[in-house]
Amino acid sequence: MTSPGDAAPVKPPPSFSPGVPRVASKTRYPNQRRDSSPSLDADLGDSRLRSSPTPPLSATTSDLPIRSASPRPQSFRSSTPQLARSSLGSPVEGRFEGSEEIRSLIIRSFSPVVGVCASADTDELVRQKGFAGGFWELIRPFGENIPGKIVIRDSVGASRGWEDFGVRFVDLAGKTPTPNDSSAGRSSSLAQVEDVLDKQLGSTDDPLGGSLRPKDFLSFPTTSPLYKVFLRQLLSISSATPHETFRHPVASIIAISSRNTAPLETLRQLYADTNNGNKKVPDWVHPEYLRYYVLVHDEDRDDIAESTKLYDQMKRHFGLHCHLLRLRSNQCVVTDDDSAQVPECEWQSPAERLSGRIEPLVDLDTNGLLYLFESDVMAIKAFVRELVAQSVIPYMENRVAVWNDQVASRRRGISGRFMSMSRRWAGFGSGSRSSLTAGGASGNYDLSHGYYKADTPEAVLRKMADFAFMLRDWKLSASTYELLRSDYANDKAWRYHAGAYEMCAVSMLLNPSAIGTKMKLDGVDQMFDTACYSYLTRCSDAPNALRCLTLAMELLKSRGGSAVESAARWAMRAMDLGLVGPIGQGLFSERVSACYAARAPVSGMKWGSRHRKAGMWSVFAADAWLRLGKPSLASASLEEAERLYADVLDADGSFPMPEMQTFIDNLRHAVKVEYLEARGLDTRDETTTAEALGTEETSEKLDRRRNRKSLIANPLDLGGLGPAQGPRDNDNAANDDFERA
Amino acid sequence: MSYYFTVLSPTDVPLFNIAFGTSKSGGDGIARFRFPDTAQYMNQFIIHSSLDVVEEAQWMNGNMYLKHIDTYPPASAYISAFLTPSGARFLLLHQPPQLPTNASSATTGSSSLLGSSFSGSAGSSSRASASSVAANPTSPQTEEAVRQFMTEVYENYVKTVMSPFYRQGMEIKSSVFRSKVTAAGRKWL
Repeated sequence: MTSPGDAAPVKPPPSFSPGVPRVASKTRYPNQRRDSSPSLDADLGDSRLRSSPTPPLSATTSDLPIRSASPRPQSFRSSTPQLARSSLGSPVEGRFEGSEEIRSLIIRSFSPVVGVCASADTDELVRQKGFAGGFWELIRPFGENIPGKIVIRDSVGASRGWEDFGVRFVDLAGKTPTPNDSSAGRSSSLAQVEDVLDKQLGSTDDPLGGSLRPKDFLSFPTTSPLYKVFLRQLLSISSATPHETFRHPVASIIAISSRNTAPLETLRQLYADTNNGNKKVPDWVHPEYLRYYVLVHDEDRDDIAESTKLYDQMKRHFGLHCHLLRLRSNQCVVTDDDSAQVPECEWQSPAERLSGRIEPLVDLDTNGLLYLFESDVMAIKAFVRELVAQSVIPYMENRVAVWNDQVASRRRGISGRFMSMSRRWAGFGSGSRSSLTAGGASGNYDLSHGYYKADTPEAVLRKMADFAFMLRDWKLSASTYELLRSDYANDKAWRYHAGAYEMCAVSMLLNPSAIGTKMKLDGVDQMFDTACYSYLTRCSDAPNALRCLTLAMELLKSRGGSAVESAARWAMRAMDLGLVGPIGQGLFSERVSACYAARAPVSGMKWGSRHRKAGMWSVFAADAWLRLGKPSLASASLEEAERLYADVLDADGSFPMPEMQTFIDNLRHAVKVEYLEARGLDTRDETTTAEALGTEETSEKLDRRRNRKSLIANPLDLGGLGPAQGPRDNDNAANDDFERA
Repeated sequence: MSYYFTVLSPTDVPLFNIAFGTSKSGGDGIARFRFPDTAQYMNQFIIHSSLDVVEEAQWMNGNMYLKHIDTYPPASAYISAFLTPSGARFLLLHQPPQLPTNASSATTGSSSLLGSSFSGSAGSSSRASASSVAANPTSPQTEEAVRQFMTEVYENYVKTVMSPFYRQGMEIKSSVFRSKVTAAGRKWL
């Protein structure tokens, strides 16, 4: 398997040949793994995979004995020295575990945004603790995952608890881009995503270990961590834009500290700032959002009695949405007793990721990581939970109910339809709206600036739909987006139009009850198609188009069944449109492969799966990785391909088609050579490589012979050969054994 | 339009391969695939991967001619299939001609393997009339032309495998069969 001569086209690929012992790959590259535990884990995973139940009905077919004798178990990891990353243990398992995770990732990426607006003294207090970004930076990581269940009531009054709810804290003082320069600035954001991936790949010297490969091989990571990085980055590109309100603030925290000399005046001033000061939101953001008042009490320096008094006063003035947050102002260092590390921000935009710290692994003991007192962490967590559970969620539920009542139901009813019809055809009946234009447009769309004002019904409906989406009431959001689509088309508000189509399809796919029939899936496909066309051709908005296609792929894939084929098609479309860079090409090829692999065979039959297609795309992914000079990723993909092909190829694992065989042999050889080069082995000299690799095989032969001799020859000349001499004897040439036997 | 025709044995071993181009509407009968010359294995990859769908379609469909069963969108390659009683399968890959687009350059040349224009299939109708086989790989005219081609090849295939010097599973080396297939391709495609 190891000699370079295995690139010869005639020979079957070594990894497919059953005779290769699995041990060889381990002993051959002794410095390959950093420690023994991953290999142990891999072995465990391996054995579990082997013992994983084959689909019960295929076992009844005649191929079971063949399969048990098939080269798959042995050749599993032998082609290249690599830990296997299996993307599906059994079809069922693979589809559920992985897709749930991706689904949760997608849902969490659309979480409500809470603005942070802190007074100067609060920021000063927090800076003492080591957080240069002030109060916002302090609480930001804690918003991303609210501990415990968050119960949300949907529009029909049914409650459901969510474990993975979160909010996004943003700095209100930060610049929000105007809609005009957004398209120019965001087109490069895909390049930034690519840069992040590149950095991620480069920073981990060994992509096998570290942050790229999860340790839990037993839990069968179904998606590569690199792909998750990509997905997360892609979904966190978007900043506040007019056409969707996910990044518009739902609430805003107004924080002062106990050091403030004029607390109530400062609070008023901050509130005024958010209304019409420098923190005023643009015209297209709904200005009425929840304000939440926080008093940060300095435990180390100030008197709690004073603060409590002030807090009571705040409650009297501002009502229920208040919180007293008790923090210590001293900086915490690692050596402190109750120090806790500040968690990493999960949702950083690519720009932040690029400008931020390089890698948590690199600067472990420098000032890169921040620590907090345990008590502070508890206080912040309690504060965030209270904020979300008692203020933000009820507020959003309330807004959805009110808007649903006042705006949406009016549109849904028969008179609403008539209103919109008459408005469309005659230009009257617009009621309070200012009719600037005639014809089909409602006149609410500001063509020159490209947005709806925040108080127009179109914008309010969109906001309501987005609220419902963030509250995970996908039924309501889907129907509202559906309502909006035609309005936007009439107004030629193409970005809005694309967004409505995209989110309508996404909500339909996320809605667990609407199990897709063929008809519905066709409709969903149609919607994605429209959205993608609008984004790309009409708005030339590549990041959103890619987001749309990626969401389409992931959500359709998680549907399983025949939907995976359209999922694969969307991934191919994303590649064809040139939306992804070279690293993305590799990732998407892997995704296409995963999509096809998720297709389970027809029950009881051998056919119906898409293993050949999945295998083909894995090979392509390997090729793409090799082009990028990532042999370790390439060999992982190649192994995946072997595993997928194992079902469809005959026992010796060779491809029936000669040109395919040649290509795969060459690819395998190239991967191996590059891998060894990356490991520092000199492969230019082919003979030395062959020798270096070949030695193990000869010693193996010796080993075997020794065993035989110890079994057979020992009884004969026990006196001559003591048991202690045995091992030393092995070092001699094999000839001795022959003579003796 | 470029074609790649394969006869596969029941165990997926290729018995016969031929690549040819269209002879209709001024074509010179030479295959011009979208892959570079170094990547001709792509045809076999696509054919091989479409066997998944063939296996499925042969149980869903009562006919020997399965029509257009599979598409490989990145290269806009279309696969039509035909079943024979012995279990051998005829697979025809057809690919509309590539228009000189600049879409393929958008992939920054990173992968000659995957990077090919998707828009080529949409725009190809500008060249030939709608009735032409080359225009639209999924049109009824194309389906009919492929059916005629398949039927004619099938007749010749039956005669070839009835030869006393042919054993089942052997590669078909008969030059007569090859010329007959070429003629059928010239006639129908």
